[in-house]
Amino acid sequence: MPRGVFLGLLVFVLLLTGLATLHGTLLALTLPLLVYLFYGLWRGSDEIKLAVDRSMSKERVAPNTPVNIKITITNLHGDLEELAVVDVISPALKVVDGSNHHLISLPKGGSYSFDYTISGPRGGFPFETLHAEAGDHLGILRAKQDIRMFGQLFVFPNIARIKQVPIRPRRTRVYAGTIPARVGGSGVEFFGVRDYQPGDSPRQINWQVSARHVEDLYSNEFQQERVADVGIVLDGRVRSNLFASDHSLFEHSVLAAGALADAFLMQGNRVGLLVYSQYLQWTWPGYGKMQRERILHALSHAAPGDSQVFDGLQYLPTRMFPIESQIVLVSPLVEDDYLPLIQLRARGYQVMIVSPDPVSFEQTYLTDRPEVRLAARVIRMERELMLNRVQRAGVQLVEWNVAQPFDQTARRFFRRRIQMGDRL
Amino acid sequence: MTLFALLFSITLGIGSLAWGYSLVGLTQFAHWIIIFGAAWLFAVWQRWRWFAYAGLTFNFLAAALGLWFLNFQPGWMFAGTIGGLLAWDLTYFLYRQRFAASDEERHAMEKRHLFRISFLALLGFVLANAAMALKFQFNFEWALLSAVVAALGITQIVAWFRKRS
Repeated sequence: MPRGVFLGLLVFVLLLTGLATLHGTLLALTLPLLVYLFYGLWRGSDEIKLAVDRSMSKERVAPNTPVNIKITITNLHGDLEELAVVDVISPALKVVDGSNHHLISLPKGGSYSFDYTISGPRGGFPFETLHAEAGDHLGILRAKQDIRMFGQLFVFPNIARIKQVPIRPRRTRVYAGTIPARVGGSGVEFFGVRDYQPGDSPRQINWQVSARHVEDLYSNEFQQERVADVGIVLDGRVRSNLFASDHSLFEHSVLAAGALADAFLMQGNRVGLLVYSQYLQWTWPGYGKMQRERILHALSHAAPGDSQVFDGLQYLPTRMFPIESQIVLVSPLVEDDYLPLIQLRARGYQVMIVSPDPVSFEQTYLTDRPEVRLAARVIRMERELMLNRVQRAGVQLVEWNVAQPFDQTARRFFRRRIQMGDRL
Repeated sequence: MTLFALLFSITLGIGSLAWGYSLVGLTQFAHWIIIFGAAWLFAVWQRWRWFAYAGLTFNFLAAALGLWFLNFQPGWMFAGTIGGLLAWDLTYFLYRQRFAASDEERHAMEKRHLFRISFLALLGFVLANAAMALKFQFNFEWALLSAVVAALGITQIVAWFRKRS
C-alpha cells in the first residue's frame, strides 16, 4: 500500500472516531499525522522530466577490461527534493569503481553528473534503462520513471591470431584464394602436364617431357588456389562442456572458434558459424571484416545450453553448409558423437575437429588421488579409442590441452600439416 | 545516524505509551506494549519493513484507546504516536538510503531529513503540550521531556541557519 494512502486512511479513521465520540483529544491526535501528510503532499513531485545523457569510454572490449560510463542528468521540471537514480546494468557486469546508483537533490534546471567503472565477462550487454524515483523527503509521494536510452557494450573473446590453417575441401569457390582447388590453372604448386596450347608462356613448357615427343610440346599446369566455404560449428551442449563444480570448457571452445574464424576469414574464405546449444544460432556465411564482426558478435552472445532436441550431433543441420565444403567442429566430443561425424564424412564434407581435452581439464580440478588417476586413465583410453576411430574415417583432429594457449597448439599442429602438405 | 534515530524513535514511542499506561496502574498493558516494542526492534534488526506499518497502527490504536476510554494524560499518548510516526518514517528513509552511492551523499540526505523530522517532532510535542495545558495536566516529567526536545529542536534550527548564512 502506498505510504500516503495508508497515512490518509489512519487520519480518516481517527477523525471519524473523534467526531463520532465528540472527543477533542482524538481529533488532536490526528494533527501530527496531518502535518506530516500535508508536508509530504506539498513538497512531493508528481512528475519527473529528466534529460539524461550516457557516454561510454569504450563499446567493444576484451573480457574484464574496465569501461568508464558517465551519466549526466538534467532536471527539466520542478525541484526534486529526493531523486534516486539507478543506471540498470546486467547482473553479469561488475562495478569496479564508483556507483551506478545515486541519491541526490536536484533543483529545477540543475544538472548532476556521475561516472562509474564496470568490467565483465564475455557477452553482449545492453544498457537500456535509467530508473529514476523522485519524491519529497518524507517519501509520501513517489514518482517513478524508466528513462530509455539505448547503449550496448560488447565484450568480445580474446582471440589469438593464427596465420594459416591448411584445409582442403573437395569443392572450392570461384574466387582466387589460398586453398588448393584440385583444378589445373595458374598457381604455385605443380599439378600436372598437358598439351601445349597457343598462348602458353615458353617458361611453362615442360622441356623434359616435350623432348620425348618429337612433334608435340607439353606445358606444366599448376594447381589453382581458391577460396572455400568453411562452416564452423561451436558445440555448446551442456553435457559435453560442463563438468564438476560448474567448470566449463565452453569459454575455451569459444576462443578456439574465434581464432579459427579469424584465420579463415584472413585467408579470404567464406565463413559461417553455427552455435549448437539450446537452440541453433546461425551466422550466415560471408567474407571479410564485416563477417568477422558478425561472428564476434555471435560468439560474444554464445552460451552453453541444454536441449533434448540438440542433445546429439545427429541433428546438425548439414543443409546449412554447402556440399563438399569444409566443416570445423569445435567440441570436447562425447562418445556418441562418433557416428554423426562419420556420416558427415560420408556426405563428402571435409571435417576438422578442434577438441579441447576434457579429461586433463577436469583432472586439474580434482585432488590428485590414486583412484582419480585411475579413473582419468580409463576415460582417456576410451576417448583415445574414439578419436582414433574418428581419425581413421578421415577427420582431421586437433586435440587441445586447454592448459596451453590455443594458438600454440594450433600453430604446432598446422605447421606439421603444411609440411605434410601433399598428404592432406 | 538514521538507525540511531530510528531506534530512539521506537524507544520513545513505546516507552511513552508504556509509561502512560503504567501511570494509571495498567502494568499488564504496559508489559505487552514493551513486548511489542521489543518485537519492533527485532523487526528492525531483521529488516522487516512491513512491521513499521503494524507499529504505527499499534501506537495510534494504543494512544486512541488510552485517550478515549481511559482518559489518560494526553502528553504521553501524543509522544507515543509521534514516536511511532517517526519510526515508521525513518524505517523507509533507511530503505531509501540504499540508493546513496557514498557516505557523503548519505550524510547530506540524512541531515536534511532529520532536520525536517525534528521539526515535525517539535510540532507534535507543541500540540501535545497544548493539549496538556488545556487539560491542566502539565507535570514535572512532561516539562523535562519538553525541555529536552525543545533544546534538540533549537539546536537543529540554529545549525540550519548557520549553514544557510
